[in-house]
Amino acid sequence: MTSFVFRNQTVEPFLGYDGMTYSGYGDISVVPGDVDRYIWFYQVPVNADSAQLAEEITSYRDQLDLVLASAGSGKPFIIFSLVDMYPLRLVGNDTAVIDSIAAFNSHVAQLAHDMNHVKWVNFSDFTTRYDAGSLINWKFYLMSQTLLNPKLANDFKQWWQRREAELSLIRKKCLVLDLDNTLWGGVLGEDGVDGIKLGGDYPGKAYTLWQQALLQLSQQGVILAVCSKNNEADVQEAWDKNPGMVLKRDHFSVLRINWQDKATNVRELASELNIGLDSMVFVDDNPAERELIRQQLPEVTVPDFPEKPYQLLLFFKSLVDSYFRIYQVTDEDRRKTEQYRANAQRHAEQARFTDMESYLYSLDLELDILPADEHNLPRIAQMTQKTNQFNLTTRRYSETDVQQRLNEGWTVYCMSVRDRFGDNGITGTIFLRPVDDTTVEIDTLLLSCRILGKGIEEAFVKTVFNLLRLDGYRHVKADFLPTAKNGQTADFYDRMGMTCQTAGADGAKHYEMALDGMFEIKNYYNIRVL
Amino acid sequence: MRDVFETEDVTIDASQKNCTKWDSLHHLTLASELEEAFNIELEPEEIAEMTDYDKVVAMIKSKL
Repeated sequence: MTSFVFRNQTVEPFLGYDGMTYSGYGDISVVPGDVDRYIWFYQVPVNADSAQLAEEITSYRDQLDLVLASAGSGKPFIIFSLVDMYPLRLVGNDTAVIDSIAAFNSHVAQLAHDMNHVKWVNFSDFTTRYDAGSLINWKFYLMSQTLLNPKLANDFKQWWQRREAELSLIRKKCLVLDLDNTLWGGVLGEDGVDGIKLGGDYPGKAYTLWQQALLQLSQQGVILAVCSKNNEADVQEAWDKNPGMVLKRDHFSVLRINWQDKATNVRELASELNIGLDSMVFVDDNPAERELIRQQLPEVTVPDFPEKPYQLLLFFKSLVDSYFRIYQVTDEDRRKTEQYRANAQRHAEQARFTDMESYLYSLDLELDILPADEHNLPRIAQMTQKTNQFNLTTRRYSETDVQQRLNEGWTVYCMSVRDRFGDNGITGTIFLRPVDDTTVEIDTLLLSCRILGKGIEEAFVKTVFNLLRLDGYRHVKADFLPTAKNGQTADFYDRMGMTCQTAGADGAKHYEMALDGMFEIKNYYNIRVL
Repeated sequence: MRDVFETEDVTIDASQKNCTKWDSLHHLTLASELEEAFNIELEPEEIAEMTDYDKVVAMIKSKL
């Protein structure tokens, strides 16, 4: 990926040289077209004349607007907010500079809100980690025009890497939590339901605030799971009866409360949730348990746990900053806890039926198939970034990429799935690239793993094939590209009746099929094409 | 110096004149890295003097 950086100071030590091209200092005359994205990283200059400085900062806004207009909306444009790293005020009530910085930053936030391709990065998120003395290195500022201390370059690179993941909507999916001395103070089995430290004064208060923060995180779509050596009945009693308890049974998607070793438990949690071990973060106050997970399951992220309860909120912030923040949360994310729990119920239901068909009938499955539009575009892009298992080609697209393909005449459908246990939301998508008037190629086909196991993938693809036939298409081409995770889809197109034309040594397969007639779709799928 | 200039091609003969990667920007990164690595403070004038490998070594030795 290549980037062009608009800047007014030396920022090369921070953003690096790989794939980066830099504007002249404060130079907006050149907006090159041959890059993948633009970055705007201005810093507040040093100037004791506050009126003049405020005027200069105010002019950045117009400069930025000008650059945005000539850059167009086809490529991502990332804007750093301004931070007053040298907040010099000769007169206490002179707020000219503060006001101009605030006005610039709120303008940037508004731009990001109004335009899909514009994203803003809160630079103070980085600067507030340091005191004034280490943030600026005056010697280097005067020698090389960078107010931000070059000694922070490595820190900055780490922070920036995480922010880029955040902008690409990549984050960990599940937080696995211990209970005793982790979600509350004390040991439930020894101190009893009312003896554990939760609520009231310190230290109970620290655990309450920590639980409240975790609750908010789960409402942003992070799955919470419990992995604790305890008696489940005791824990249920604590959930029911302890008045200080914020996080209760229903806030957790899955539980492992038993005396089995935690590595086995975590492995089971991953398979029950149908997510990879590399999307889990394991939080436990016991260093021995943490070490066990690090040894046995190196893919799982295991942060150190704070020694003192009063450090919990700082620990929470570092968890969020390092693993869980994403730029934008979709409705599907917010409903995730509920969906994963409903899934567990569906598994239980399945066991009671003797044949699959009557089970599927009982589910009242409703499939809505919709063309891509501005509302579902962020979710479609997010699915291409996150879906690994049922994903035939694993091509990752940003929102801008998807929009670009729509502009080029591609057809993109997504699918929303409901059943009587709940609404799974948008959980599948297909990208169709027209080859000629009668031929179309499937560029991308994926379904979220939480709706698999009900034949929905076949119903979805058959419906799309029927739509294509009605649109006049007579041939479909498709590829299967193997990855470490998508083995279950290796013969999907064979099952759909397509013919494998060529197979590569790496397992890649190319398929073709004539659309001779309409596909019949089982009547337990209630399908609506919107 | 190899890390800063991102090239293995740094020898004891290297100087600002014969090493294309050794531009003014990388020179400051080098100064900043040397300060960290040897726990020393370099004055702007001293940084300006370190124009080749030998002078860099001599400067560090004088600080230790």
